[in-house]
Amino acid sequence: MGGVGSVGPPSKRRKVSSTEIPEKSSVSMADDAIGSKGVKKVEFVRLIADALHSLGYRKTGEYLEKESGITLFPSVINEFSQQILDGNWDESLNSLRKISILDESVVKSSSFVILEQKFLQLLDSQNPDDALRTLRTEITPLSINHNRVRELSSLVLCSGQAMVKPKPRSVVLHDLQKLFPPNVMIPEGRLLHLVEQALDLQRDSCSFHNSLIGKTSLFIDHNCGKDQIPSKTLQILQEHEDEVWFLQFSHNGKFLASSSRDKSAIIWEVNLDGKVSLKHRLLGHKKPVSSVSWSPNDDQILTCGVEDVIKRWDVISGECLCVYQKNDLGMVSCCWTPEGDRVFSGATDKSVIMWDLDGNELESWPSQKTVRISDLQIMGDGRYIVSICKENMIDIFDRSPLGCERIIKENHNIVSFTLSEDKKFLLVSLVNQEIHLWRIHGDIRLLARYKGHKVSRFVVRACFGGLDQAFVASGSEDSRVYIWYRETGELLETLAGHSGAVNCTSWNPTNPHMLASASDDRTIHIWGLNHVD
Amino acid sequence: MDVDPRQYENITINDNDSHNIVLSYLIHGCFKDTVESLVASTGLKVPAVQLEDMEKRKRILHFALEGNALDAIALTEHVSPDLLENNKDLLFDLLSLHFVELICSRKCTEALEFAQAKLTPFGKVQKYVEKLEDFMALLAYEEPEKSPMFHLLSFEYRQHVADSLNRAILAHANMPSYSALEKLIRQATVVRQCLSEELGKDVQSAFSLKEFLKS
Repeated sequence: MGGVGSVGPPSKRRKVSSTEIPEKSSVSMADDAIGSKGVKKVEFVRLIADALHSLGYRKTGEYLEKESGITLFPSVINEFSQQILDGNWDESLNSLRKISILDESVVKSSSFVILEQKFLQLLDSQNPDDALRTLRTEITPLSINHNRVRELSSLVLCSGQAMVKPKPRSVVLHDLQKLFPPNVMIPEGRLLHLVEQALDLQRDSCSFHNSLIGKTSLFIDHNCGKDQIPSKTLQILQEHEDEVWFLQFSHNGKFLASSSRDKSAIIWEVNLDGKVSLKHRLLGHKKPVSSVSWSPNDDQILTCGVEDVIKRWDVISGECLCVYQKNDLGMVSCCWTPEGDRVFSGATDKSVIMWDLDGNELESWPSQKTVRISDLQIMGDGRYIVSICKENMIDIFDRSPLGCERIIKENHNIVSFTLSEDKKFLLVSLVNQEIHLWRIHGDIRLLARYKGHKVSRFVVRACFGGLDQAFVASGSEDSRVYIWYRETGELLETLAGHSGAVNCTSWNPTNPHMLASASDDRTIHIWGLNHVD
Repeated sequence: MDVDPRQYENITINDNDSHNIVLSYLIHGCFKDTVESLVASTGLKVPAVQLEDMEKRKRILHFALEGNALDAIALTEHVSPDLLENNKDLLFDLLSLHFVELICSRKCTEALEFAQAKLTPFGKVQKYVEKLEDFMALLAYEEPEKSPMFHLLSFEYRQHVADSLNRAILAHANMPSYSALEKLIRQATVVRQCLSEELGKDVQSAFSLKEFLKS
């Protein structure tokens, strides 16, 4: 049929010579693609060979190069790299000139990098005359980087001193790699980098993601099922004698505190096997307890009676350590400073009061700081007071002398709010059955809305939770717990089990698979994963 | 601003004043022979000491303009002791002239040694660091005339250093560092500019000495 000169695509007959970079013939190899996205076979094989070499499998790498006929690097590049690592600057410059496909500017900048090291090495070994000669005859004529030339001149005066230490040679090779086009010297660890990129992408698109990194595998795409979100009642706690209004896990996830219309609060312990047991009953309030607040290091807890007093308790002993009260005033909310040295409370006269630990009032902010049933949070080392100041407004008040106030205004009445652990976000529950996520760090901005649950008559609370606080959970008047994906607002789960309105939820900060809910049906449900891990 | 000749007529000028103005200019510039001519023609008196000092100053400035900084420094020390001690900026400028000389004669090793010995001590003071770096950068170029710092090799630069040296020596000897002629020109320029600014908008341009003298 055809001889050498006959028709036929050149690629089928042309062999890659070992001193050329494969890309020189890439025009004819271009149709050697693998997969369906145009991945070039030559590049793919070179990446694998590079990965093998960097894992230490030199022989395998070389064998792959032989068998595929695709060289990782032409030998001149290998020689060049070795010369750099050995510090043979002059020879490396010769090799550099032999690498034909580099263009002039790359050759110049690379020469500069190499000669700079030569210069520094000469200075470091107390050879200023030779260093100066290198500068004058080799570096300056490159006519680039004049500022650096100026700096190098001044360094001539510092022969042998610390500031002329040359860089480690592996760093020099790395710098040169960055100057060369990527198909000449493959960036270090490129294959691993591509794999890690893919893993990141998979994780980002997983809306149920609620487990730690150790579970990812390269063999299947990462895709959590709903099975990573707590959805099964593992335990029902029935120790309260009336509606349970509030509950919260401690910061360290070892305890849970709940408060009830039965005028008591209970501290529960989370045991190592995941079971929750009663630790202390906190009795003594004369009114229903509307909320609790854990101290920053979880050794104490505040309980707030409805328009009544605030009590401070020791968690280990269950003893009441102090009572906070002011004549003729009832408290409506309570909160610790991040240092745990002060207590803040909202009062029925719409003021906010700051107390020391012994029950002495230190300061108060009189007007319009809070409404009758309210939440209160402190952030920024005690500098900012966050409260519901009017029915549809949240006030972020800066206590410092020149501080200003920032207001979040909603179009509907606000029922409750929660501050995120990192104090940068606010979840606001509204009476129109929406929960709004606001960013309060920097510009105040509404980020997302969560819908589907029922709120009309009662105070219902929402919380953040799960791995990286990726989820939002809320109670609802239809007796269910609702869970949304924070980023998109997608409703992921509704958990049935309670027989009364669910007032409050809390996600265990140290166990993304444990969620607690408090209900008018007098019980607390502990939710966990729907299967055994 | 228009020249009003009537105003000028009313001012009398003393011959002596004119002569002194010219003399101060000549002394400032070390024009010794011209001074002697002027003295002979006008009957002005100039003390002999002043003439000798002028001769020495002339030699110092000549060395500086040639780039022979070392001789300039030595003679300055002789004529006005402590002057350079108290005027480090000037000393640096003179030493740098010598450095530049060495560079221009392509004696790089010597230049480097000189810099290490004499110039680096200045590097401890922040204000000299940038200047020092400018000079050191000259070392990097085989053809310093083609470097970004070529102006340091120029006659204008040497002139600038020589002028500073001149003023310093005069000041040291309690003589005026600016000649009367120079002062007068400056005064006239400033006054005219102020006046033309005050008069406002229909003035065409800033005061031009050249134009004024021609009119």
